[in-house]
Amino acid sequence: MRGLGRLVGRALARLVPVLLAISILVFSIVHAIPGDPAVIAAGLEAAPATVERIRRDLGLDQPLPIQFASFVGRTLAGDLGVSIRTGAPVGQEILDRLPHTVILAAGGVVIAVGLGLAIGIAASLSRRVVTDRLLTALSLLSASTPSYWLALMLMLVFSVGLGWLPAIGVGTPAHYVLPCVALGLQSAGAVARMTRASVREVLAQDFLRAARAKGVPERLAIARHGLRNALLPVLGLVGLRVGGLLAGTVLVESVFAVPGVGRMMVDAVVARDFPMVQGGVLVVATMVVVVNALTDVTASWLDPRVRT
Amino acid sequence: MFVTAPAAPHWRAFTLLVALAMATAAGCRGEGGVVPGAARDRLIFAAAADATTLDPHNTTDTESDQVIMMVYEPLIAFDDQMKIGPRLAERWSVADDGVTWTFHLRSGVRFHDGTPFDAEAVRLNFARVLDPVANHKRLSLFSMIDRVEVVDPLTVRFVTKYPFGAFEPTIAHVSSAIVSPAVAAAHGKAFGSSAPAVSGTGPYRVAGWKKDQEIVLERFDGYWGTKGVTREIVYRPIPEAAARVLALESGDVDVISRIPATDIPRLESRSDVAVYKLPGVGAQQFRFNVSRKPYDDPRVRQAISYAIDRQAIVRNLVSSFARPSTSALTPIMRGYVNLGEIPYDPDKARALLAAAGYPKGFATKIATTPRYPMGVELAEAVAADLKKVGITAAIEVFDWATMVQFWAGLPPEKNPQEIFIMGAGASTADADWGLRPIFRSAPTNENNYGYYSNAEFDRVIEAAMRETDAAKRQALYRRAQEIVYLEDPGAVWLFDTLYSVAARKAVSGVRPLPLGVVTFERAAVAAS
Repeated sequence: MRGLGRLVGRALARLVPVLLAISILVFSIVHAIPGDPAVIAAGLEAAPATVERIRRDLGLDQPLPIQFASFVGRTLAGDLGVSIRTGAPVGQEILDRLPHTVILAAGGVVIAVGLGLAIGIAASLSRRVVTDRLLTALSLLSASTPSYWLALMLMLVFSVGLGWLPAIGVGTPAHYVLPCVALGLQSAGAVARMTRASVREVLAQDFLRAARAKGVPERLAIARHGLRNALLPVLGLVGLRVGGLLAGTVLVESVFAVPGVGRMMVDAVVARDFPMVQGGVLVVATMVVVVNALTDVTASWLDPRVRT
Repeated sequence: MFVTAPAAPHWRAFTLLVALAMATAAGCRGEGGVVPGAARDRLIFAAAADATTLDPHNTTDTESDQVIMMVYEPLIAFDDQMKIGPRLAERWSVADDGVTWTFHLRSGVRFHDGTPFDAEAVRLNFARVLDPVANHKRLSLFSMIDRVEVVDPLTVRFVTKYPFGAFEPTIAHVSSAIVSPAVAAAHGKAFGSSAPAVSGTGPYRVAGWKKDQEIVLERFDGYWGTKGVTREIVYRPIPEAAARVLALESGDVDVISRIPATDIPRLESRSDVAVYKLPGVGAQQFRFNVSRKPYDDPRVRQAISYAIDRQAIVRNLVSSFARPSTSALTPIMRGYVNLGEIPYDPDKARALLAAAGYPKGFATKIATTPRYPMGVELAEAVAADLKKVGITAAIEVFDWATMVQFWAGLPPEKNPQEIFIMGAGASTADADWGLRPIFRSAPTNENNYGYYSNAEFDRVIEAAMRETDAAKRQALYRRAQEIVYLEDPGAVWLFDTLYSVAARKAVSGVRPLPLGVVTFERAAVAAS
C-alpha cells in the first residue's frame, strides 16, 4: 500500500507542470486568435468611446506579459476572474455547470465501458464468424458515427418519434439518457474493438492453456485469468478516452441544451470571453489529468508489473 | 442602428442532415411528448441563447431584450406596428424650443420589490445609464440628453443638448426601461445578473434564473395594467437550431424563435404548429469599403447593385424569410420611403463599369460569416452574379468575433475588407439610428465600418436629426435614402428580413414584434 501512496503522490505532482503549461498555452491561443472581446461585449451599436472604456475596464489595454502575470497570480490565488460577457465570477459560473458535465462524462464512460466490454467480449468469444463480423462491424459503425449527428438522430427517434425521452434540457434523470448515449457510443465502439483484440490475444497465451490443463472450467478460466489480463489495455484506453468524452460534451451539451461547462466554453470562445475560456480549459484539463493519474494508479494496482 | 446577430453557431450541414432525416422519420412520428391535462399555467419558450444580462442599460442582444420587455417598462412604448403609445407615462409633450420634453407619469405604480415608481426613479435611471464611470453599454444611445429634472413626484422633464427628432423612439427603446432604483443601488455592477438583482414594473417578475438552463418569469400580481394571462413563462435556451426545431415538434417546448430557413416550410406544413412571420426592422446587406479602390467610385457601386439579381436570390435561397428591399430602411421604420427594388440590369452594370474605367471588370473579395442565416450562400450568389459582368470575387468566411473586429475601430488603411456582409436593423425602428451611425462620416465615423462619405448625406442626416417637425423630417430622410440607396450607394441592400416565430397550435396570444423579439404577456396554452 505504501507503493500506492507514492504513486498517487507522483501523479499529483505531475499535475502542477501540466497545468502551468496548459495555462500558458491557453493564454497564448486566446490572445492569438483574432477577435476583440471589448468590441463584442459592447455590441455593434456602441460608440467607439464605449468600446475603449470597456477595454480599459477589462485590463485589455495592458501589455500581454502584464496581463499574463496578473492571470497567473490571480489563478494561483484561486481567483479565475470575471466573465467579460456576463460580469459574473468565472469560478462560480463553472461550479454551477460542472455537475451537469460530470454526470454526462460519467454516464458516457459507463455506456462506453458497459457496451464496449459486452460487445467486445461477445465478439471475441463467439465461435461463429458471422456473429464476430457483425459485432465488429457494429463497433466500427459506432466508433465512426459523429456524436452530434447521432445526438440528433436519437432525439428524432426517441423524443419526436416515440416520445419516450425528453429531447432537451435537464431536470430529471431521464434528461441525461440521450446525451450520455450520444456521448458514450463512439467510445463504446473503440472499447469493443480493443477488448476483442485483447481478449483474443490473451486467450492464446500459455498461462490460460495451463489453467485449462489443470482442469479449471472454461468460463472460470476466461473470467478469472483471461479477462483480468485482457482488460489492462482497455483500462488504459478508457483513461485516454475521458479527455475525448469531455471534448464531446462541447457538442452534445449544445445539441441537448444541457447547461454544462462544454457549452459554456463554446459561448465563451464565440464571445472571446477570455477569462471564461481560460477558467473552463483549466478545470477540464485538471479533470483529464486527474482521471489519467487515477487510471495509472488503478492499472498498477491491478498489474504488479506496471509498478516500478 | 443596426446589426442583428444570430445568437448561436449555425451548423449548416448538420441542419441539412436533419431536414433530410425528417423526411424519412415522418412516417414513424407519434404524438411525442404531449403534456396531458387541462389548460396549462406554464408556457415554455426555447430561446437561441440565455439572456446575457437583465439590466436594460447594459443590453445589446435581442435574447436579453425580449426578457427585459416582460419585466421592465419604459415611459412610452412601441406597439406591434412600432407606433409609440403611453406606458409608465400617461401623456407627454415637447416645448416649442424643441429640447424640453415633459412626461406626466402614471400614479400608483410599484416595482416588483415594492419601491414606488415616481419622477425621482426616472431621474435616477437616466443618471445611472449616463454615468460615465459606471460605463453602461447603452450610454451612447442617450448622448443627446443634457439633464433630467424632477418637476413634481409625477412629472419629469428631459432637456436635450439640441433638438432631437428621434427622441420619442429613444425613450421607447428597451434600454430606456425603468429599473427599481433601490434594487439597482443594492446590487451595483451585479444588477441584472441574477433573479434577486432584477426589479422592474412589468407584468412579469423574475422568479428564478439558472444560467444556460432556464429563466422563470412569474406573473406579477401587483401589476398596474392588464395582468399577464399565463402564470409562468419559462425561457429555456437551446443553442442548436436543429435541436430547437425538434424540441418544438416533440412538444418539449411551446414556442421557438430563430428558425433555420430550411425548416420553415416544413414547420408551416405541420398541422400542430403555427408559424408567425412579420416584417421587421432587419435587412441583409453587403457593404462597400469605400476607402479602397475601385469602391471610391459611386459608378462601380451602382454597377454592382444593378448586377445582382435580387429576385432570384430571394426566390432561390431565402424565400421563407425575406422580401426584396425597397430602400435603405424597412417599411416599418419611421422615415422610410419606398424607392422601389433595384432592377436586375447586367447591361447597365457593364456600361457603368466601362464608364468608371473597368470595361473588363476587376478582381475583388467578399467577406461573410455563417452567423447570418445563409450568409455564405448569399455571398456565393452575389459572386456568381458579379462574374457575369466581369468582376471576379473571392469569398472569405469569418467567424463572428473576427468579423466584428474588422468593423469596430479599425482605421481604413488597416481594414482589408472590400465587400462585406452586414445585417441592419435599428433597435429604435427610426431612420436616425438606422442611417446616422452607419453612413455619416462627419464629425465622427461612429459605426461607419465602410468609411462611407458623402457631404450632402452628412448635411441632410444632421439636419434631420435636429428636426422635430414630422413632415420636414420625412422630407430630409427621403433625400438621405435617395443618396445612400440610389445615387451614391453605400451598400447592396439584398432583402428585408421577416422575423419568424413558431408555436404549437395550442398556444395563443404569442406576440412577435418587428424588433425581432417576442413577448408573452397575452399568451395562453390551451388544454392538449
